[in-house]
Amino acid sequence: MSYVKAANLQEALNLLKTSTPRPRVIAGGTDLFLQDWPGCLIDISFLDDLKIIEEKDEVLEIGSGVTHAMAAGSDLVKYKATALAEACTMVGSPQIRNMGTLGGNVINAAPAADAAVALVALGAEGVLIDCGNSIRRMPVDKLYAGYNHSVVDCGSEILLKFVFEPCKPDEGSAFVRFAARRALALPMVNAAARIRIKDGLISAVHLVVAPVKPAPTRLLKTEAKLCGKPVGEETWFEAEQLAAGEAEVRGSLLRCSADYRKHLVGVLAGRVLRTAALRALERKV
Amino acid sequence: MEKARINFILNGEAVEVYADPSRSLLYLLREDFGLTGTKEGCGQGECGACTVLLDDLAVNSCLIPAGKIAGCSVVTIEALSREGEPDFVQKAFVKKGAVQCGFCTPGMVMSAHALLKENTDPSSEEVKMAISGNLCRCTGYKQIEEAIMLAAEQLKDRPT
Amino acid sequence: MPHGMEIIDMKKRAEPDFQSSEVWSKVTGKAVYGSDLKLPGMLYGKIVRSPHPHARIKKIDLEAAQKITGVRAFLVAAELPDKPYGIVVDDELPLALDRVRYIGDEVAAVAAVDYETAAKAVRAIRVDYEPLPAVFDPREALNPDAPQLHEQFRGNLAWERNLKRGNSDQAFREAEVVVENRFSIPAVHSTYLEPTVCVAVDDPYEGLIIHTAVQSPDLVREIIAKVLERPLSKVRIICPVMGGGFGGRVYGNLKLYILSSLLAIKTGRPVKMKLTREEEFLVGRPLISAEMHLKMAFKRDGTILAREADIVTDNGAYSAQAPWVSKTLSERNDSVYHIPNIKTRVRLAYTNKIPTGQYRAYGNQAANFATESLLDMAAENLGLDPLELRLKNCVKTGDTTVHGLQIKSCSLSECLQAAAEEIGWHKRKEGRGYGISAAIHSNGSLVLFKNFRGASALARLELDGRVSIFSGEQDYGQGTHATFTLIAAKALGLNPDLITVYSRDTLSTPHSIGALGMRQTTIGGKAVQLAAERLRELIVQTAADLSEVPVMMERGILKSSSGRIIELSLVAYHHHSLTSGLSLVGEGRYVPAPSAYDETGYGNIAVTYSFAAHGVEVEVDKTTGAITVHKIVAAHDSGKIINHISALGQVYGGATQGLGMSSYEGYIFEEGRVVNTSLAEYRIPTSLDVPVIVPLFIETEDPEGPFGAKGLGEIVQIPVLGAVANAVADAAGVRVTDLPITAEKVFRLLSGWECEA
Repeated sequence: MSYVKAANLQEALNLLKTSTPRPRVIAGGTDLFLQDWPGCLIDISFLDDLKIIEEKDEVLEIGSGVTHAMAAGSDLVKYKATALAEACTMVGSPQIRNMGTLGGNVINAAPAADAAVALVALGAEGVLIDCGNSIRRMPVDKLYAGYNHSVVDCGSEILLKFVFEPCKPDEGSAFVRFAARRALALPMVNAAARIRIKDGLISAVHLVVAPVKPAPTRLLKTEAKLCGKPVGEETWFEAEQLAAGEAEVRGSLLRCSADYRKHLVGVLAGRVLRTAALRALERKV
Repeated sequence: MEKARINFILNGEAVEVYADPSRSLLYLLREDFGLTGTKEGCGQGECGACTVLLDDLAVNSCLIPAGKIAGCSVVTIEALSREGEPDFVQKAFVKKGAVQCGFCTPGMVMSAHALLKENTDPSSEEVKMAISGNLCRCTGYKQIEEAIMLAAEQLKDRPT
Repeated sequence: MPHGMEIIDMKKRAEPDFQSSEVWSKVTGKAVYGSDLKLPGMLYGKIVRSPHPHARIKKIDLEAAQKITGVRAFLVAAELPDKPYGIVVDDELPLALDRVRYIGDEVAAVAAVDYETAAKAVRAIRVDYEPLPAVFDPREALNPDAPQLHEQFRGNLAWERNLKRGNSDQAFREAEVVVENRFSIPAVHSTYLEPTVCVAVDDPYEGLIIHTAVQSPDLVREIIAKVLERPLSKVRIICPVMGGGFGGRVYGNLKLYILSSLLAIKTGRPVKMKLTREEEFLVGRPLISAEMHLKMAFKRDGTILAREADIVTDNGAYSAQAPWVSKTLSERNDSVYHIPNIKTRVRLAYTNKIPTGQYRAYGNQAANFATESLLDMAAENLGLDPLELRLKNCVKTGDTTVHGLQIKSCSLSECLQAAAEEIGWHKRKEGRGYGISAAIHSNGSLVLFKNFRGASALARLELDGRVSIFSGEQDYGQGTHATFTLIAAKALGLNPDLITVYSRDTLSTPHSIGALGMRQTTIGGKAVQLAAERLRELIVQTAADLSEVPVMMERGILKSSSGRIIELSLVAYHHHSLTSGLSLVGEGRYVPAPSAYDETGYGNIAVTYSFAAHGVEVEVDKTTGAITVHKIVAAHDSGKIINHISALGQVYGGATQGLGMSSYEGYIFEEGRVVNTSLAEYRIPTSLDVPVIVPLFIETEDPEGPFGAKGLGEIVQIPVLGAVANAVADAAGVRVTDLPITAEKVFRLLSGWECEA
């Protein structure tokens, strides 16, 4: 059988181990369909195990099979991982959001994949299981091997879920993107942030702006300089300069030139931090 | 890919087809089932002309491999006027002049249905968002939005 | 508002909305488009295309492809007639013989049992090329040392025109204010949603039948007949329902129709061929790109004295319609205002890039962008309100313009004022920018085909009392059928539900130029009116013969002087039996008088002209240059509106296309290759990108058009470009002069960065 809809996770893993020709996993298929079609596919997009969205022991778990539409519509995600909900509402189109999964988004490994950018900013780790049933955890930004090339081997392992700490009352997260059109458009630049405010000062911050590297990557130098700074316009302005300075960007014929992109990196960094901080302040009350 | 038997529900009817699982649902519908109401505008999920409902959700049928639909319910434009009478969404489209060349229309109508299934009182922003994955080059979208708002209003007036 | 003119309130209009009943088949998914067609024994064709922008073809090796099961036929240039063909210039062959001239140029074709097999065969065909130096920039192409594309066009100059009216040089010397700038407009595609497709059948008795949706089937079949060396009467085009046209389907993709016909002839079976969406962008023919250096001279009080233009348009590898489009682009817009002195130089240059076609306003929209932008620059220089500057100079009813166009009806001033009023010209919001723009477009042409200036139609009374209208004009969704139905209904006094319009089979319809040049309503509709009126006469005459007393027809009812009502079907049967089988047919011939058009191109070129003025409100975020278009007000003078619901659709759709062209669209090339070959990268507006659009119809009564109507279908797009450009310049304080106007371009100007190469 060349195309199997796995009935459960264990069956999927067994099929990965035993199927010939060399199988690979397919979830929503919206990216895979347009690429080279392998000889054997294991469809995991209907597995309930992979569609969980729940908070367990102060950890937010989001299954890899959760679609963009599900994440965007989930109250839990909207409230405790706002950046992810926002990112998911802006991807592609309603049709793409209904099929495309968060797992697929990360595994397709585009450098500015919206959901992946949000997940990295939120500090998410991916939980993987291989056909020998052994589990490993990796931070999402470490799942990238290169441009459009994932570390995950879809022929022998399955990305189960993403886990991260949900935003607490003193935290906020946000996502913004800049694109040529309001739907059906890949971003020129997108950005996500997670921030914790304590006594009016930034006590912790994650800032991701993409596309900068093959993987959505945190701007660590900028983050370090921002810690301890007071919430306010002066800080956001400084953040813009820092982010634009730290990010190495490339221009593209289809999207925008490098110097403009660098400028956008700064602007979006400022915007996303401001919004995330406002949310952190609002929730505290 | 090696052909396989695929059983699913098509427009409310249990059907079976013997097909290559990598064949797109769009071609399966148009060629194998002769349901040509669903259109191919690009074949890459970028225009929405191929929109159908898969388990009540609007999807681009050009990106769905046939193997995926086993056991699922697929609804196409043809299901809506089964008895020969266009349904309330289709009537609203015609009333508001939302149909010009008609190529985007089946996809638009299916997206409208997907919206109304989960939101019976959409705002105009929500309507715009629901059809944001359906390109139209003729109408500028305005009369299509008005048609969907009219259809929603009519849903409200229906006896439950 | 002057006497006889009024802004019609669309909500209070008396006539009920009317649409062709075809909308029901479209909304239920039953309408048959080209891609839905399937004929018994049908084969599927695909094309081998050049990967090089310029190369010699050394060898075409079919051996590996011939071994593939399911392949039925191949075509290479060596076996085809080698007489070049074209639309204006005969510079193309069905397949490239010794040279390819653009990436995508057709080299060979295959017919097979399905598309997958044909695609496999295409991949297996080996072509040996010897790449040649290529040229991509039209100005470079005009240099004497540039690679030459066509032997008979030295210097790659495909067409040239030097046009003078009055004495421009003197006017510039005497001018008190001169403004000048360079503007560029990229190639843009009609981007109809249905990709091009055709099915060709070579019937041994009936001849060639091509099933394809084109806007001008008679123009297309003339060329096909010539290329295939078949008698014209044995080449028939049957149009399935068309999924959009917008000018891009006037001639459509001639190559596709010719190649599928040749394959059908060779195999003796129907052959279907289509363009993928990628191919639509790679080889489907866009509107030409243009670079325009404009200069205008003014008096201090704002009176326009002269306009000088140096224009270079990019022909691509083959001419197709580009000379005609370049001509329209270089002169049509001159007739919006009184410009007493003109000096225009246009050069059309061959380059190793995609050949071009047409799109909606035929280049007029490109000129609008440039001229209207320059006018606002002049207004600033002169210290005048841009609206006042336009009102001072715009044409009016009764004027003859600088190129000899005779304006019989015109509410352009009123359109400008209405658009300005509605957009809030004098009540501006904080932080917003406002722009205004005016346009003209001709209704049909008296000079494009000098011996075919009008249209004809037939109105036939059926035995059941209904009426059939036969017209060669095409409906691709813009509502032609419904408009003709209403015209015929009005002329006959009948209920529109009793009338059906047939247009899609060249075998049964009068010859027509088709849906180009905004002539469907004014020219085609007039012929329908005449045909229906003639039929009415015939009906009354025949009824009188039948009843032997005088008869009158009023509101669709035939009544004899003795008060007896006579059924139309009775009249039909009467004639039927008198003639042993013929029906009453009213012939309508609308043949406008020829124009006194001289060799400089001076003269009235159309029976009438439509006008429009658009106002646009935008907001610019100066931190990124991002533009938000809030509102477009579209004020139109299209005479008397016949079909209201369709007119609204035309404005919403046309303005959205204009927005696409002003802000989103444009071909991007890299070494001659189109880079944005998908709908994701060639971006047309989505539902979330469209602003509020307010249509205003300022009705005039045109003496020419049917029941006072004038065309609307093309002019709807034109003024958006100038208005958006002006609004953005007003909001941002800087002016982008290269379309599309994007955030990055605005930002670069604001920051003083260099523009991208």
